[in-house]
Amino acid sequence: MLLEMKDAVLSYGKIEALHGISVHVEEGEVVSLIGANGAGKTSTMRALSGVRGLSAGSVVFDGQDVTKMRADQRLRKGLVLCPEGRGIFPGMTVTENLNMGAYTRKDKSAIDEDYDRVFDLFPRLLERKKQIAGTMSGGEQQMLAIGRALMSRPKLLMLDEPSMGLAPMLIQQIFDIITEISQQGTTILVVEQNAKQALSRSDRAYVLETGNIVKTGTGPELLDDPSVREAYLGVA
Amino acid sequence: MDFDALISGLDRHTLDGITRGSIYALVALGYTMVYGVMKLINFAHSEVFMVGTWTVLGVYTVLGATSGMGVGAVIGATVLALLAAMLASAGTALAVERIAYRPLRKKGAPPLIFLITGIGCSLVLVETFGQVLKAFFGPPFGRVTVNVPSVIETKVVFTIPGLDLPVTNTRLLIIIGAIVMMVALDTFVNKSRLGRGVRAVAQDPDTASLMGVNQERVIMLVFVLGGAMAGVAALLFTVQYDITKFDIGFIIGIKAFTAAVLGGIGNLRGALVGGLLLGVVEVYASQIWDSSWTDVTAFIVLVLVLMFRPTGLLGESLGKARA
Ligand SMILES: Nc1ncnc2c1ncn2[C@@H]1O[C@H](COP(=O)(O)OP(=O)(O)O)[C@@H](O)[C@H]1O
Ligand SMILES: [Mg+2]
Repeated sequence: MLLEMKDAVLSYGKIEALHGISVHVEEGEVVSLIGANGAGKTSTMRALSGVRGLSAGSVVFDGQDVTKMRADQRLRKGLVLCPEGRGIFPGMTVTENLNMGAYTRKDKSAIDEDYDRVFDLFPRLLERKKQIAGTMSGGEQQMLAIGRALMSRPKLLMLDEPSMGLAPMLIQQIFDIITEISQQGTTILVVEQNAKQALSRSDRAYVLETGNIVKTGTGPELLDDPSVREAYLGVA
Repeated sequence: MDFDALISGLDRHTLDGITRGSIYALVALGYTMVYGVMKLINFAHSEVFMVGTWTVLGVYTVLGATSGMGVGAVIGATVLALLAAMLASAGTALAVERIAYRPLRKKGAPPLIFLITGIGCSLVLVETFGQVLKAFFGPPFGRVTVNVPSVIETKVVFTIPGLDLPVTNTRLLIIIGAIVMMVALDTFVNKSRLGRGVRAVAQDPDTASLMGVNQERVIMLVFVLGGAMAGVAALLFTVQYDITKFDIGFIIGIKAFTAAVLGGIGNLRGALVGGLLLGVVEVYASQIWDSSWTDVTAFIVLVLVLMFRPTGLLGESLGKARA
């Protein structure tokens, strides 16, 4: 198992956002986590990436207990999060943002390979290498954020709502690229409100409701599940 | 009001203002960098500067350095004093961070607590030089102004043609020294990998940590860099004014802070602009009215900036400051 989170409890002061959830990801899988606004998806990502600590429970990644590790230490192990709202550095150029992804790496020739890979996936970024990232469109910023995450050479790439705020055509394109990244051999955990896209592209999925996992199954199973269809796919 | 005094010596007063301003700018860097990364005004920074001036005095005393030494000895003593001051100031800054701020950060204390703790550190350091060290070692420690040997003999090195304005070696050293340090720091922050880490934390600490940037390291780095710059400022200050005092940090600190706010706190280049501008403005004010206006000017400028343009002249964050 590449990633296993067990009985995770996460609180913001007195508010408990995750009430002891368990999630796991096998090597090579695409797993999605769907849920309504405020369900605790981002909190789950924060707990997994180490941006926030857990008050109970554990996170094991690649055979190692990382529960007590800071985010920067987890990144070095290959646990990489592309955060909600993209988190690009607005004052830096496209190139500088990509460099930030490779911040901890010293393997120069492999970094150059990864640049080529990113520019291959996102030719748009190559055209705009020198542009200040804050002046780019939402779609371009999302591409930059994913490209930057790839520059960290993830073993597990976690994406928090990559489709947020994008036009339907762009959403399609972003998910195509996520599928392509998966086919190139990277394991993926993706958080989405856009349940239809997420489920149809995933091997397995979890449904999160107010801090609890209420359902889990394969992508196709959940796509056919009546309660999921009603709550998340807008069909009765 | 006497505009004639100002106008008749405008070139001389401007040069004087730039000299003062160079020192303010160097000290301002410490405020601005720490603010950029932690959104904290480090009130103990003025004492980081003060420790530097005492270190210069210490080195000169140990070496027995005085004016009238040979050129080699003067350069040697000055360089040694510079390095020692940078080290002592950086060390003091780092100690303040470790002892006062880091434990609070670990506890997630609210911002006000940091400010109060910073003021506490400042008082402890001031009283260390004003009382504690005096109790152990006697003078020169204590609450009086102390002379620092003017190792570099002031000489006119050239005269700016047309203006008939003599430029001395000490002024030249201060202005060039300050500019060299600022360019070096600016290049480091904008071009190096660690500098990119600093800018990343300044723009978005959480995302920076998701890129593998160790925030604690970045924080240590900005305290060390800001401290070292204050050390440089301390040496240059003693070169120009030949004195130190237990509370010398107070007024320089306020002026440097004003310079940082004037230029746009969090912005490295703003520190330079703010420092030079403040230096010139206060010299002009002292000519138009009288010298008692020198220090008042800084406060007036601070209040005006906070009222009318709180983001300062350049007004960008450290994260956004770039070529
Ligand atoms: N920084 C925070 N401080 C306090 N409460 C928060 C914070 N972030 C999220 N929450 C709360 O935690 C719950 C889960 O939020 P979140 O994980 O952002 O959900 P989602 O990503 O699924 O929309 C919500 O009730 C939200 O209000
Ligand atoms: Mg969210």
